[in-house]
Amino acid sequence: MKQKRIVITGMGTVNPLAHNVEDTWAAILACKSAFSRINIFDAGTFPSTFAAQVSDYDLASQLSDAEPHCYAGRHCKFALGAAVQAWRQSGLGEQSELDKSRVGIYLGSGEGSLDFENFTSLMVDAWAEAGAVDTVRWAKLAFERMNLNREIAQESNMVVAHLAGEFGVCGEAFNVLTACAASTQAIGEAAMQIRYGQSDAIITGGAHSMIHPYGVTGFNRLTALSTRNNEIETASRPFDMTRDGFVLGEGASILILEDYDRAKARGAKILAEIIGYGSSADAFRITDQDPEGDGAATSMRNALADAGIAPEQIDYISAHGTATKQNDQVETRAVHAVFGDRAGRVPISSIKSMLGHLIAAAGATELITCVLAIRDQVLPPTTNYREPDPDCDLDYVPNEPRKAKVETVMSNSFGFGGQNDTLIIARGE
Amino acid sequence: MGKRRVGITGLGVVTAAGVGIEPTFQSIQAGRQCVGEIGLFDASAFPCGIGGELADFSARKFVPKSYRKSVKVMARDIEIAVVAAELAFRDAGIATRGTDDGEMSIAPKRLGCNIGAGLICTDLDELGSAVNTAVNDGKFDLKLWGSSGMNNLTPLWLLKYLPNMLACHVTIIHGCEGPSNCITCGGAAGHLSIGEGARWITRDAADVVIAGGAESKINPMGLMRQTLLGRVCTGRNDRPADACRPFDADHTGTVAGEGGGLVILEELTCAESRRAKIYAELVGFGAACDPAGFDVMQRSAGSLDLAARKAIAEAGISPQDIDLIVAHGTAVPGEDVCEAAAWRAVLGESGSDVPVVATTGAIGSLFAGAGGVELAVAAMAVSQQSVPQTVNFAKVADGCAPLAVSSETRDAELKYVLTGAFSVGGQSAACVLKRIES
Repeated sequence: MKQKRIVITGMGTVNPLAHNVEDTWAAILACKSAFSRINIFDAGTFPSTFAAQVSDYDLASQLSDAEPHCYAGRHCKFALGAAVQAWRQSGLGEQSELDKSRVGIYLGSGEGSLDFENFTSLMVDAWAEAGAVDTVRWAKLAFERMNLNREIAQESNMVVAHLAGEFGVCGEAFNVLTACAASTQAIGEAAMQIRYGQSDAIITGGAHSMIHPYGVTGFNRLTALSTRNNEIETASRPFDMTRDGFVLGEGASILILEDYDRAKARGAKILAEIIGYGSSADAFRITDQDPEGDGAATSMRNALADAGIAPEQIDYISAHGTATKQNDQVETRAVHAVFGDRAGRVPISSIKSMLGHLIAAAGATELITCVLAIRDQVLPPTTNYREPDPDCDLDYVPNEPRKAKVETVMSNSFGFGGQNDTLIIARGE
Repeated sequence: MGKRRVGITGLGVVTAAGVGIEPTFQSIQAGRQCVGEIGLFDASAFPCGIGGELADFSARKFVPKSYRKSVKVMARDIEIAVVAAELAFRDAGIATRGTDDGEMSIAPKRLGCNIGAGLICTDLDELGSAVNTAVNDGKFDLKLWGSSGMNNLTPLWLLKYLPNMLACHVTIIHGCEGPSNCITCGGAAGHLSIGEGARWITRDAADVVIAGGAESKINPMGLMRQTLLGRVCTGRNDRPADACRPFDADHTGTVAGEGGGLVILEELTCAESRRAKIYAELVGFGAACDPAGFDVMQRSAGSLDLAARKAIAEAGISPQDIDLIVAHGTAVPGEDVCEAAAWRAVLGESGSDVPVVATTGAIGSLFAGAGGVELAVAAMAVSQQSVPQTVNFAKVADGCAPLAVSSETRDAELKYVLTGAFSVGGQSAACVLKRIES
C-alpha cells in the first residue's frame, strides 16, 4: 500500500504564556517567563509555591456555544479552546464532503483535577481510630458530598469525548497517558494512522493540569519540582549548572493532521510535514532514566530511521529539557550518542525554561513551536541559562532567539517510567 | 515484501475466576459464577457492595526476586498487569529477562508493550494516614499539609498511580525496549491497545507486542463513581452470583470486577518459524467514537457498529462470515440496548442467529481490563472451536432482541470471531480473529 504523507494544517494552544499560537510564539521570542505564585490554591507552605498557570481564560471567548461543555474539567476547557483554533485554521469544518467517520481524535490528555475539598474532607471525617478509613461512614458521606460531574471530568478519555461532540466527528478515538511523553506519542501514533490510511484527518495533541494540591504534592515528594521560591521568574533552568527541577505548568495544544494529497486537493495551507516518529522504552527503573540515555537515543534513532534521514539533516532539536538534574544530563548523553561528532553543532533548546512543564500537553506545545521555527527561520531560546554544566555541553541556544536556517526539526519527549517519543518535522512542500 | 501478519501466541488473564486463561474460559464454559461479596473492604453501605474480586491476590510470587520490593509501589491495577504479563510470556514460550534470568529469545528493541489502564484510584488508607496528620479543629489544614503533612507520604506515592506504570513495570521486568504506550479509554482501552499493538507489527515497528489492559474498581472511589453514574445493579447484595445479567430481560446494571488480560501479538512468520502455538490470527481492527458520548448519562455504545464494520473491512470479509461475537455486555440496560443495536446493525437480518457471548455475568465488568480478557476468550473460542455461554443469561431483554445470546456451551465451526467494546464517554473498538488453518 502506498504510504501517505502527513501534514499539519491547523494549530491551537491555551497555555500559561498565551491563549493562542501567535501570542505564545511572540512571548517565547521575547523570552517571557510564565511563572508566578500559585493562586489556584494556597501553596504558601508547600516546598514549591509557584507554577506556570493559565490565567484569565474563558472558554466562552473561544467557542460560539460553550454551554454543552459546562461540566468539562479545567484541562478539557483548555483543550476545547485550542482545538477550535486549530480546526478553524485548518478549514476542515467548511468541507461539506468531509467523511466524519474518517476524522479521528488522538490525544495525550491527562486526568482531570480531583474534587479536592470533598475528597479530602471524606478522608478526615470517615477516619477510624484503627488508622484506616471507615468505609461504611465514608460511603454514606461520599454519596452526600460527591458530585457526578466533578468525578466524570477526571476520566482522561473525557477530553476526547468533548472534542468529538464539539466537531461531530466519529472516527478512531484514542487517549494515551504516557506521562510527560503523552502528547508527542499521541501525535506520532496519529501520524501513523494517516500514513497507513486508517484516518483521513486527526485532531491530536494533549491537555493537562496538575496544579492542584495532590498534583503538586506528588511532584514535590518526588523532588522533581524547582523550589526556587525566591527567584520564581528564573526558576526553570534547563541544562544550567544550577537547575533544580521543573516548574509545573498546565494547558493544552492541539494540531490537525491530514493526508497531504487531500489537504493539497482542497487547497489547505500546509504548515509543516511530519516525516518521522519513534517510540521506545528505557526498561530500566520507574524512578530513574537509563543513565546512559539508551532509551532516549533509541527513540531518536527510530524516528530518524522512520524519516529515512541521517542525523546530519536535523537543523534543530526541541529538547525535553525539563531542568531536572537527571533529565538534562541523560538527554545530552543521548544526543551525543545519536549525533556523534556533530552533537555540539546541532542547536537544542528547551522552551520549558519559559513555559514550564505542561506534562501530558508539553510535547504538543513544543511541536507547535518547532513548526513556527521553520516558518520564521528562528530558534526559540533556552532562557535562564547562566552557568554551564560540564555534563551538559551542547549548544542550548542560550537566552535569546537565534536566526538560523531551519528546514528539519526533531522534538523529544520522555515520560516518567521510561517511555520515550520523538517526532521529526519538515517544511512540507 | 508481503504484508506482515499478526498471530496471537500467548494469553495472560487474571479474573475473579482465577489466574490464567483456563479458569476464566472454563467458568464461562461451565457456567460458573464468580461474583460474590466484596472482601477487600466493608462495602455494605454501597448500593452495589458486590464484585468479581480477586481472592488472595498479590503479584509478589509472579515477579523476579530482584524486583520483589517494587511490588510495594504498585497499585492493584499494576499488580494485575504484572501477573498477566508473566503468564502471557510464559504461555507464548518467549523467554524474557523476567521469565528466565538469562537470554531473551527476542531482540529487546523489537519487543513492544501497549497496556490500557483506567483512572487508578488512590488507596484511601495510605493517603488518609498522611492527610490526618494535617488536621486542625477537625478540618483538613492545607498549610499544615504543605509544611509537614505531605512528608508522611512515601516519596514514590505519585508513581504508584500513574496509568502508564502498568506498561512501565512490565517493560522493566521483561526488558521490552520497543514502542511502549498506555491507552486510557475506559472499556475500549483493551481493544484499542491490542489493535494499535498489531499495527506496530504490521508497520514493522516491532516483531512482538504485549498488549491488553488491567484495572480494578473494587475500591471505595471506583464503586462510588460507578454508583453516581447509575451504572451498577442495586438491591442484589444478597444474591451476588446472579446479579450481573448481560442482555438478559432482568438486567439492572453492572457489577464491578477486577482483572485484566494481556495477549502476545507476534509477527506470523516469526511465530511459525519458532513453531509457536498460535491461537488465532488478528486480521482486522477498527475504532470509532460517538459524538454524543460526552453526555455520559445518555447510554452509548460509542458507534461500535462503525468500529466493527471497519474491523470487518480490514479483515477483507463480509459480516456474513462472522461466526461468533464476544461482546462487552456491561448489563447496564441502556448500554446493552445500544450494544445489541450495534451488533444487529453490523450483522444484518441474516446474521440474527450468530451467537453472542459476554463474560461479565461470570466475572463482572473489568473496564480497561475487559478488552484483553474478551480478546483472550475470543482466541480460546476460535482455537478450541467452542462457543461458551453467557453466564446469568436466560431470556433476551426486550430492547436487545433479536440477539442470539449464547446460553449454553457448544462446539461449533468457528472461522471468524468478532469482539468489540466501548467506554463511558463514547469510544469503541473492535477486532476480528481468524482460525489458524492447520
